[in-house]
Amino acid sequence: MLVFAASDKGGTGRSVTSANLAYHRALAGDDVCYLDFDFGSPTAAAVFDVPDARQAAEDRGLHSYLIGEAAEPARIDVWSDTEHRVLRTRPPGSGRLVLMPGDVSGGEFATTDDNLRRCVDLLLRLNSEFDLIIVDLSAGRSYAVDMVLEATSLREMSGVEARWLVFHRWTRQHVAAAASLVFGKRGIVAGGVARGHDEEALRNVIRFVRAAVPDPESALWSQVSPTQSAWMRECDRDLKQLASTQGIGYSLVLGSVPLEPVLQWREQLITDEDVLDSQIANRETWDALSELAGRLTDDKFWEQP
Amino acid sequence: MRVLALSAPLVLACGEVRTCLLPSFQALDGRAAAQLLRLRADELVRVSERPNLYALSPDVLTGVDCRLPTSNGTKVRAVGTVAARAALTEGRVLQATAYFSAPAGGPDTRRPWGHYLVRPGLVEPFGKLPEQATAEGVLRGGGRGELDLGMISEGLLAQLLRHPLLDHKAPFKSRRTHLRWAARRAPEGEGPSLERFTLAENGLRTVSLRLPENTPAAAAAGLCEDLALHDWLLTTVVHMLDNSRLGAADGPSAVLALRPAVDHLLHLWMPRAHVDHTLGHLWDVLEREPGFTRQWQTLVQRIRDQLAVQAVPLLHKALSTR
Amino acid sequence: MTDSVFRETTAEPRTQSVPLAHLSLELGHLYMEDFEAGPERLREHFAEVRIWVDAARASAARRIGGKRPRISTCFLIDDYFRRFSTPAELVPMVLEEAERAGLVIDYLARESGCAVADKTELAEAVMHRLVESPPPGSYGSRPPVSQTGWLANGQRTPATRTAMAETTGWQPPQETAARNHSVFMDVELWSEKDKQRLWSCPFLAAVWQLARLGLLRHLGEPVLIPRLWNGGDFPYDWDQLPPLLQLNASAAPFSAYRTCTLMANRFLPVEDAVRLILDQIDVDSGALRQVAERSAREGAAVPAAVAQRATYVFYEESAGAFSYGET
Repeated sequence: MLVFAASDKGGTGRSVTSANLAYHRALAGDDVCYLDFDFGSPTAAAVFDVPDARQAAEDRGLHSYLIGEAAEPARIDVWSDTEHRVLRTRPPGSGRLVLMPGDVSGGEFATTDDNLRRCVDLLLRLNSEFDLIIVDLSAGRSYAVDMVLEATSLREMSGVEARWLVFHRWTRQHVAAAASLVFGKRGIVAGGVARGHDEEALRNVIRFVRAAVPDPESALWSQVSPTQSAWMRECDRDLKQLASTQGIGYSLVLGSVPLEPVLQWREQLITDEDVLDSQIANRETWDALSELAGRLTDDKFWEQP
Repeated sequence: MRVLALSAPLVLACGEVRTCLLPSFQALDGRAAAQLLRLRADELVRVSERPNLYALSPDVLTGVDCRLPTSNGTKVRAVGTVAARAALTEGRVLQATAYFSAPAGGPDTRRPWGHYLVRPGLVEPFGKLPEQATAEGVLRGGGRGELDLGMISEGLLAQLLRHPLLDHKAPFKSRRTHLRWAARRAPEGEGPSLERFTLAENGLRTVSLRLPENTPAAAAAGLCEDLALHDWLLTTVVHMLDNSRLGAADGPSAVLALRPAVDHLLHLWMPRAHVDHTLGHLWDVLEREPGFTRQWQTLVQRIRDQLAVQAVPLLHKALSTR
Repeated sequence: MTDSVFRETTAEPRTQSVPLAHLSLELGHLYMEDFEAGPERLREHFAEVRIWVDAARASAARRIGGKRPRISTCFLIDDYFRRFSTPAELVPMVLEEAERAGLVIDYLARESGCAVADKTELAEAVMHRLVESPPPGSYGSRPPVSQTGWLANGQRTPATRTAMAETTGWQPPQETAARNHSVFMDVELWSEKDKQRLWSCPFLAAVWQLARLGLLRHLGEPVLIPRLWNGGDFPYDWDQLPPLLQLNASAAPFSAYRTCTLMANRFLPVEDAVRLILDQIDVDSGALRQVAERSAREGAAVPAAVAQRATYVFYEESAGAFSYGET
């Protein structure tokens, strides 16, 4: 299955969250591939803590492959190449976790027929090899978004299941922007329909992920004053209302990830050790990521709302 | 096959085979296989039904003019055509091979393209060919701008995978393997031999051969496709057994994980089925050490035992509810 | 594996041979504008062609040591790009004008027969056989022709790619086989309209040359086989006319070791493009071998390169003749 990770703007935690989802699925035994289509600002190397990826990304990254300069994009086996102390020991029963880095110097580029064909070839090939392929797309309505919309509209790809995750922060501006990215005049749905996607089918494979959501009930906020607490609750309620009127209400939300300092500041994978031993990350975050990872392939969450 | 007089005797043949599961829910029958491999509208796909279903596409050519990969850094420019072909075994395992032969030497200038076109699958060096360095270079893989057989075989494979016959709903996930091979000419009076078979990381295998002068490159390609096919079967079934976590996982889920092997792979083992009869015996070395068929039989036995063990409680249950 | 007991016919390729003359002499192409110009135009054409026919016959005889060469003549009518008139009206006129000039047309072909003949997609099959001449630096990555629809004799001016890459000045194209300076040519092989592929005139003409050179096969069988005319009326619909009609029962075989084409000099660019295409076709190896062996046995060995087997006479058209037409 293909999962495209999109976001309206930068800073939504899209890359780090989707990388964590890849990690959770690999832990559960799936063979997972993570593609960094965030051309221009590839971050995956840092998230997975694989310095090799930086080297490979000099001239053999996805960008070089798509424009025809590299025969095959570089692959990094995260379990064996990471410098992350915990990740280095691959847990028994886990699946493969492979990173395909973007290019350090590769900017955005127009989608030509050749680039598109290579994109399709790559996705088809990975689909026969991996249980789950997570494609991290550059923010906004980027070329990367256009390219995969085009690719998935082609007959060759019709047998490959694809789902979309749209990440947004839990603020008024981000909620509106995320709705516009998907449903707006130049949004993903309109762009998909223009390329031959069936509108209803496309809508049914798009879900939202609320990122960095402060939970007023969480222990994190137990010290705030009653006034602050009441204000937080009110804001949260208002935002829910807003999301609902923007058409991205509860039924379209796959999950929420709590505001988590480790995600925000370190931008790395959260391991069980971070939760259990060093306890720098919150249990709630781990659980939310785990739940979200499970829902990616749980058809119950992808039925028509 | 080609009668056109060749300027110099051929001293080297090299190729790369990529092997993968056909991404289709069902195996293709002979007709569909022929349809898939019809790379040229006017040329026949060869289809054999004995001793197993095997389809072989016609060769298609790619023109090249670049440096050859060499292990010692010698810079040799070469011009000619690389042949590529695809094979489908039992409608299930798809292979694409790119290969070429090279003479010991050639002129220092490029000739008109027509000269190369009537020598399909031949790549002529400028000046003298550093045979050993080129053979080693091909096995190691070329650098940027050097002849890239992997790119040509991958291109053919990708083209086939876009065929409308394929639904991309393969019964299980599996990895591809790449097998690179290089065959230098055997010393006068000596028969063909397999010098080395290396299992490298990331699905890469390399094979070194020695072949008499009159062995066509296509026959060597056929042998290496056969080796690659069986190596892929071993690799894939071993991986499947690893993932099934026999013993660790509960019984039924292990059976579920092994089921595709029974349905789609176990009947595919048939070394030498379509190998040129002059080369079939090269398999013997691998059967002695490490023993390809011996390993396969062990794997098959393990899977069958496991299924039998899982069937016992079911049988029990069936009997008790009678 | 020919000495084994067990054989499967579907596993063994074979190529049937075709009868071959020494020379296939084309007396002309007929396009819409020629027809519109009236019978005088044809009369003028055949009168001029007649002179060169004698020269071509003499040349063919000299090549085989003065013996009597087997020569067949043919004539091609365009019914592919624009349909005009009917066979019933047109063919008798062509034959009459040829006869007036003392010429015999042995074989009559329709241009659309080069695209599809007897349900066989000839043009598409030939397209699959294109192998581009690689510009220096081609290591296996060049996109096949079938993805672009254009064929060149060298390296095109590079296109600007990444939006962010620095812009570089114009770079010239380069002919791969250039001698000091390039004569770069880029040929459109087909165009597409409403998902329908329209083959270009040079591409169909290349198929035509291959047919005349006896190098076309379909699954090993000959294609574009001449059908003998029964002497009756010609049909009113082009589709009813066989793609290749044998008008003269005692004619030499249609295909030949070499071809000679006699045409007005406005066709020169098209035929130059034809040579560019022929130079990059991987012809059926079985057919190629048969022709090479038989021509050598007859003391008329053909050049290895297929394009070298085609010769032309481009004559000057009389004043007032239509300029460039649908080609």
